[in-house]
Amino acid sequence: MSRANGTLKLEIRKVVKNFGGLQALKGVSLTIEGSQLVGLIGPNGAGKTTLTNIISGLLRPTSGQIWFNGERIDTLRPYHIARKGIGRTFQVTRAFRRMTVLENMLAPGIVKHPYMSRRELEKKALEIMEFLTIDHLRYERAGNLSGGQQKLLELARLLMLDPQLIILDEPFAGVHPKLQRTIYDYIKRVREQGKAIILISHDMESIFTLSERLVVLNFGEIIADGPPEEVKNDPAVIEAYLGRDEEEEHDLRRAY
Amino acid sequence: MEWMAPNLFPVAWMSVSSTYVIRLILEGLLIGVIYALMALGLTLIFSVLNIVSFAHGEFYMIGGYVVYVLLNKFKALPGPAALILAAVVTFTIGAVFERLFLQPMARGQVDRPSEYAILVTFGLSFVLQYIMLAIMGPFPKKAPRFFSFPKLDLGFLRTTRTTLFLGEIPLPGGRIFAAVIAVLALMAILYFMYRTWTGWALQAVSQDRNAAAVVGINPLNMNTLAFALGGMLAGLAGAVLVTVFSWVPWVGVPASAKSFVIIVLGGMGSIPGSLVGGLILGVVESLGTGFWPNPATAQAYRDVFGLIMFALVLLVKPTGLFGRKL
Repeated sequence: MSRANGTLKLEIRKVVKNFGGLQALKGVSLTIEGSQLVGLIGPNGAGKTTLTNIISGLLRPTSGQIWFNGERIDTLRPYHIARKGIGRTFQVTRAFRRMTVLENMLAPGIVKHPYMSRRELEKKALEIMEFLTIDHLRYERAGNLSGGQQKLLELARLLMLDPQLIILDEPFAGVHPKLQRTIYDYIKRVREQGKAIILISHDMESIFTLSERLVVLNFGEIIADGPPEEVKNDPAVIEAYLGRDEEEEHDLRRAY
Repeated sequence: MEWMAPNLFPVAWMSVSSTYVIRLILEGLLIGVIYALMALGLTLIFSVLNIVSFAHGEFYMIGGYVVYVLLNKFKALPGPAALILAAVVTFTIGAVFERLFLQPMARGQVDRPSEYAILVTFGLSFVLQYIMLAIMGPFPKKAPRFFSFPKLDLGFLRTTRTTLFLGEIPLPGGRIFAAVIAVLALMAILYFMYRTWTGWALQAVSQDRNAAAVVGINPLNMNTLAFALGGMLAGLAGAVLVTVFSWVPWVGVPASAKSFVIIVLGGMGSIPGSLVGGLILGVVESLGTGFWPNPATAQAYRDVFGLIMFALVLLVKPTGLFGRKL
């Protein structure tokens, strides 16, 4: 059991993704070994979400391969990949809006836990929801929740399958500061449970504090990869940010 | 004015009584429950697969023929067993068809999926109609009644073997039996949709396929299940009505049209919408037919009322009663 001894390994090998004439990823290679929190940053359009979609199976790479724990996964379908232990959230929250919060949590239950009784699963769901402070909303329709609460629900739902690797796409975006704190604590706690995390965020402050390793994507290429301290002084990174998006530039400065 | 009287104020108008209206409403509700059952199947297919099945009426037709054949071949077979077999047969046809012909679309192997879905379900509809025409012939069949009331007399509520009387109002036993089975089937399917793992997974896929897939739900299997279940519900509706109506290979065509009317009225993809829509259509048809000026032609116009409603809904509130913005 790879989960028990923590030898998780995700290998992204020369992944290229073309959308028509546009090359979103130009041969990205990246290895994540053992549980670590990898921050993934880059200007808008750098290819962060494309990479996420490829890892989770929603997109197929044009060329290149992805391996997870010694198994090739880029040919698998998203639900297979989810069952292998990779969970993700979406930049724009995707709760099942016409179901209750609790039903959202239990819907994945059909797949992974034939050995867990319904009561056990409900208990597990409630524990997770309690931690994310949404347990009092369990009978509320997900569509009636605030944007931030829906984000928390998505983070909670993700844990129902016990993923080894979690990809969080902009978890702090558009969330009330108080809930941001909850998400921050969630990431730390999930990290303590020995899961690996890929964190995509424009919130530079949190990404620099949380990340153990920082990867910078720009125009579909990795331009820097290393400890956050090193990366933020990397001339190529500074240029990529300074030359582009003013808002991000501002964020980056504020983080310094 | 005398010359107008026979046409504009025929017997039905003259003798309107509250009993007559109540009777029409009750009859409408009895048939409406079955309409609802069938429409629920179409809604289920639409919400999960995002396609409109033009073969829905043929599942209804097959369901009826299965019961007819079974009850004629095996006289000893209990009625409910025939219903269950009809459900099994239609479920299987749905599952096999989905796997063979609709799955390529869901897998992205078809270039123009929406046109493909229309053509392939139309194709299924014709194939099933002509296969049944070849097997059963064009002449109307009617399955034997397999249900009789025990004789009762409780004053207000009386029964004969074939009819139940509520006060003065006679209600045919076959229709009551059909409605009761439909209600049971509706309760079972609603329980399944809202209280089981698989039901939640189906709902999840219908609300957001990708989000469902990344939490491990296989949307392709849910497609198969939804199409098979949808066909089965239509099959059950046919199975309970074959003892009431005459059955021909194209009996599913108007039935399918009614399902479309209902899901447009109730709101595409809405489960409560198809339930309420079914009951409304039943009552509207019943009242419309009951108050048609000329009773001799009234039955011939039965389907008109639903279609008028269909046009009105599209004009006034295209999202339907429970529909969401499209």
